[in-house]
Amino acid sequence: MDEEPERAKRWEGGYERTWEVLKEDESGSLKATVEEILYQSKRKRVIESHGQVRLGMMRHLYVVIDCSRSMEDQDLKPNRLTSTLKLMEAFVDEYFDQNPISQVGIITTKNKRAEKLTDLAGNPKKHITALMKAVDTVCVGEPSLYNSLNLAIQTLKHMPGHTSREILIILSSLTTCDPANIYELIKTLKSLKVRVSVIGLSAEVRVCTVLTRETGGSYHVILDESHFKELLMLHIKPPPASSSSECSLIRMGFPQHTIASVTDQDAKPSFSMSHLDSSSGPGLSLGGYFCPQCHATYTELPVECKVCGLTLVSAPHLARSFHHLFPLQAFIESPVENLQGDRFCQACQAELKDKSVFSCPSCHSVFCVECDLFIHESLHCCPCCIYRQTAP
Amino acid sequence: MASEDEINLLVIVVDVNPIWWGQQAQRDPQFTLSKCMDAVMVMGNAHMAMARTNKLAVIASHCQGSHFLYPNKSWSGGDGGGNDASSSGDGKYELLSAANNLIAEEIRNIMSKIEVTGNSTDTLLAGSLAKALCYIHRLTKELEVGQEIKSRILVVKAAEDCALQYMNFMNVIFAAQKQNILIDACVLDSDSGLLQQACDITGGLYLKIPQKVALAQYLLWVFLPDSEQRSQLVLPPPAHVDYRAACFCHRNLIEIGYVCSVCLSIFCNFSPICTTCETAFKIQLPQIVKPKKKKLKQPM
Repeated sequence: MDEEPERAKRWEGGYERTWEVLKEDESGSLKATVEEILYQSKRKRVIESHGQVRLGMMRHLYVVIDCSRSMEDQDLKPNRLTSTLKLMEAFVDEYFDQNPISQVGIITTKNKRAEKLTDLAGNPKKHITALMKAVDTVCVGEPSLYNSLNLAIQTLKHMPGHTSREILIILSSLTTCDPANIYELIKTLKSLKVRVSVIGLSAEVRVCTVLTRETGGSYHVILDESHFKELLMLHIKPPPASSSSECSLIRMGFPQHTIASVTDQDAKPSFSMSHLDSSSGPGLSLGGYFCPQCHATYTELPVECKVCGLTLVSAPHLARSFHHLFPLQAFIESPVENLQGDRFCQACQAELKDKSVFSCPSCHSVFCVECDLFIHESLHCCPCCIYRQTAP
Repeated sequence: MASEDEINLLVIVVDVNPIWWGQQAQRDPQFTLSKCMDAVMVMGNAHMAMARTNKLAVIASHCQGSHFLYPNKSWSGGDGGGNDASSSGDGKYELLSAANNLIAEEIRNIMSKIEVTGNSTDTLLAGSLAKALCYIHRLTKELEVGQEIKSRILVVKAAEDCALQYMNFMNVIFAAQKQNILIDACVLDSDSGLLQQACDITGGLYLKIPQKVALAQYLLWVFLPDSEQRSQLVLPPPAHVDYRAACFCHRNLIEIGYVCSVCLSIFCNFSPICTTCETAFKIQLPQIVKPKKKKLKQPM
């Protein structure tokens, strides 16, 4: 394989004198330093917009969860498996919130084999029920990276070219048992343009470093549970699309939701097509979403029509992804003393007591720290810029 | 009974587009902006009178900005602001009379001082809703331990929708849905597709009032109870929301369309280049079968 960049390991650096961060002021209190540290940790989140980079909006992600014997270790409470499954439920929820037209599948690996827990699907409920049931699985044996990657590839290679193909591996064991040469598989992954990322729960393993470096993914090892959550949430934002992915126009249907009551003359009850496979009795319902091409009924969107193959979405689903494509600019930080006139945050009307304020670069309105965080994390639009864009 | 520690916050966003209200006063002198503000104040007073821990905020949405009518920056608090109001002598709860006076004074200031440029009859609600969400977020952060807050937003809308704010509006709606904040809408004149979607997504109520003069009645009857109490009441049925997308080229509502995989813009017809992000699409051409060349017989 090609040479890897020389990187200093943590034990090779000098001592970090972490106690020097804390400085006492004249009266011996640490309050100012503590406030400063809290302030910095708040600001850490806000930045890093990709700018004008094409993002992969329609994502097909497989999550491989290691269920080997090392997952019974109790360094994450109550044990690694339970903690991982709980965080995965939160991950699945957030993922479908931020990427409504993407799909997720889950694979588990133990006893030198890999098996699919859930297939690639766009509905979060199925995955969450499967994850809740998986808490009872017995963790035994060794994981197999080769088998799980192979299993994921078999589905991913048939996915259309304009979608992004990703695999996220949560690996806790330090060993892997592979039936064939994994470096060949890495070459196959690269040629299929699959991006593999790994989150390690124990320590850095060289084969994972090579795997992620060759395919363009990221490799992190967790420090504790909150760090684990942070690393998982990093994978929710759409990654930059590789330059060779195709762009195409995808044909989609936008069905109307009809709510019909029993007294309507034309209302005919129908089965929902999405419940055909489920064992609980499918109910006859009067309303629902009708596929514009074949008039099959569905109860929820987004879904791929089983009869005619048309992808059905609603306009708000596409609108949820807009803030990734048009990200809000970061606000400019400036000390509060420079502000003339009334010192009030223009969004929440609070008095500005922090030591710095944030102003929007286009409309120059002033916001406090909390509003700045809220605007960049949840709102994605500046409250005062809206008026400027219609001004003549 | 609501527990002592639960705070119910109601934020009322009133559309005060001066051009629309001016035209309205000429059409129907019985229902003017002052009557509307009276109804809003009745609603606000009723909400604050329901429980001691209820809170209120009122925002006026102008075509050039949105302003907080209540609580105001210069208002110092519950006790100090009652200098001229508490001596009203009619035994009214001090908080309510102070609030009413403040709202009346602020709206007078706003309508007289702001110069109207342009003659848009559209209303820019997304900015006011964003400010309401920031205010709610700030109050949630300022809670003491053990207190909970439930918030909702009531929009009183007069003028028509402005199509330019679609993206900002949708961002605000998704942020509200994530924080479990209901958005209710009381529409005076013309139906608004954006507000219908907002109410559907966040779980609020949408109502277009048949008679504007009875605004106070509708507000008190439909919008005063909070979300838990609404399940016990018979309220107007949910409106049928049109979730079809509008194509980017003609702005028609379409049922089947083509979506660009890069920028998610919607088109009604297939075109080789996306107009928004200017990517060229790969078109699947049918395979051209070359005709077999017949070997020419060599003349003997």
